[in-house]
Amino acid sequence: MLFSIAWRNLWRHRTRSLAIIASVALGVWAGAFIVSLYYGMGNERVRIAIEEEVSHLQIHHPKFREDFEAVWNFKLDRLNDALQRTPGVKAWSLRTTAQGMLANAAGSNGVQINGVNPAAEITTRNFDHFIIAGVFFDPEKKNQVLVGKKLANKMKLAPGAKIVLTFLDAEQNIQSGAFRICGIYETSNAPLDERNVYVGQTELNELLGMQGCGTEAAILMHGENEIAGALAFLQKELPDLEVESWRTISPETDLIMSSLDISSFIIIVIIVLALAFGIINTMLMAVLERTREIGMLMSIGMTKIRLFGMVVLETVLLTMIGCPIGFGFAWTLNEWLSKSGIDLSVIAGNLMKDFGYGAIIYPDLPGFKVSQIVLTVFVTALLASVFPAWKALSLNPVEAIKR
Amino acid sequence: MDTPVIDIHNVSKIYNPDTIPVPAVNNVHLHFERGEFTALVGPSGSGKTTLLNIIGGLDAPSEGQVIINGTDITRLSANQLIRFRLHNIGFVFQSYNLIPVLTARENVEFILLLQGVPKARRDKRVHDLMASVGLGDKMDVRPAQLSGGQQQRVAVSRALASKPQFILADEPTANLDSKAATNLLDIMAKLNQEEEMTFIFSTHDARVIERARRVITLEDGRVASDTGAVKV
Repeated sequence: MLFSIAWRNLWRHRTRSLAIIASVALGVWAGAFIVSLYYGMGNERVRIAIEEEVSHLQIHHPKFREDFEAVWNFKLDRLNDALQRTPGVKAWSLRTTAQGMLANAAGSNGVQINGVNPAAEITTRNFDHFIIAGVFFDPEKKNQVLVGKKLANKMKLAPGAKIVLTFLDAEQNIQSGAFRICGIYETSNAPLDERNVYVGQTELNELLGMQGCGTEAAILMHGENEIAGALAFLQKELPDLEVESWRTISPETDLIMSSLDISSFIIIVIIVLALAFGIINTMLMAVLERTREIGMLMSIGMTKIRLFGMVVLETVLLTMIGCPIGFGFAWTLNEWLSKSGIDLSVIAGNLMKDFGYGAIIYPDLPGFKVSQIVLTVFVTALLASVFPAWKALSLNPVEAIKR
Repeated sequence: MDTPVIDIHNVSKIYNPDTIPVPAVNNVHLHFERGEFTALVGPSGSGKTTLLNIIGGLDAPSEGQVIINGTDITRLSANQLIRFRLHNIGFVFQSYNLIPVLTARENVEFILLLQGVPKARRDKRVHDLMASVGLGDKMDVRPAQLSGGQQQRVAVSRALASKPQFILADEPTANLDSKAATNLLDIMAKLNQEEEMTFIFSTHDARVIERARRVITLEDGRVASDTGAVKV
């Protein structure tokens, strides 16, 4: 009957109870939506990091990451051989990189010059899809270069324009070469687009004087689960080189993913705190309105623990109604948006790309987060009911009955 | 003389003892026996309700003892007092104080639930009580749909449901019209006679005083007169 009383008490003030149920539902929905958006953005960042930037694994000379200079090169033949035998590998691209300067009549800009095999770049990261003007390397032509949209805008570059790339060769001598822009590309990471230019690997190697060599291998796996095995295999096969996963190469991306749990939990806590004040306020009103009734219940023999339980039960019931409604709404919205995505380019313009995110975010609500939100809301509701319940217990039955 | 159901020794109650002391009950000695039908009367502020609250364990005396069936309730803890009230005392309040979200049947049944009485016994007890107060046909009606007299009869049934040692009724007829008050008094008198239930009223109502077999008059917190116990 305690349940029955608690349940019926909820509907004494229908509008008020519905308002608090709505706020619980809204709180749960808001928490779930923000978390799903957060995870969606995290997933998008990881996808971009792997598919457009670093791939799953990279191989370098151990000293390469100190200054990214071409002097830290290695023979490509043995890499091809090792990669063919590595389990779980989907595609790879062997590159030569050099730090240098891009110059034209308008000025100059520091760039990383990436010598690539066009076919390999297509298989590892669909690079041809990033071309927004011109073409993705014309096989009939030599000394072609691809420049990023941001750099092209900055230096007023267009397909067909001539530029000069200057850099240090493997012997630390200054070399330069004239290249013609064949295409302008745009990835989801504008800062990288401004920094990287792409030329044919053979041509760059000739200028660097290191034919048959490279400085980087980018490896795309069939899935995230294949990384650990391939990493161990390659480390064993190539002990003189450094094999690293995207988590090491792009630590900021890994940091985003590892901070998702904490930051989303903080967001949930902020939302449920606001919710808690709503619950406390409502339940306190409900208790104070029933002062005389509570005095009567204490007079006729209702123990404090039962009285406490009744107030807590009322709060729990409100929460138990609001929670599923909020989650139902959140789940439905998530189902829809996880497929259609949220196009933030309308409100954020190119801002998302400046931070390495795609313009379209696909919300993702992991199952463990759902249970975390449910648990947090439930515990908050329980804690929020303690003060009103304590207020009820502290009533003097004689005084309460007089009111 | 029977062993008193309630034995009040030297009970005093002073409100605000540390600031402006207000004596409400002053050195009262009283004995109540089983089957009494007693009215506590006196002008407003004479200490009737305070004394009733002290007897019911709702208020603690500043000094003195209240012994009910051998138990000094002034020595019980708050939780012990709640349990004591649940099993020994029935309350009837001036404003009925029924639980508005429960039906008449559930209001009566509630106290049996608190006592942990099994369902079958609960159902029979509630049915018998509601029938005895003439509300057998109003069992599933909520208090708001009952008249004041009917609500007070439900309150009496609730007070009786736990089979208490005695019933304390604070101005039970104050909010009732003449017919309803007479009807209620008839029911309580019948229960007093048939079940030897002890009733103690605090009242201003001449109709109650007229029906009472013992009248205790309080003035300024003291017993001014006592007609003495007359059992059923």
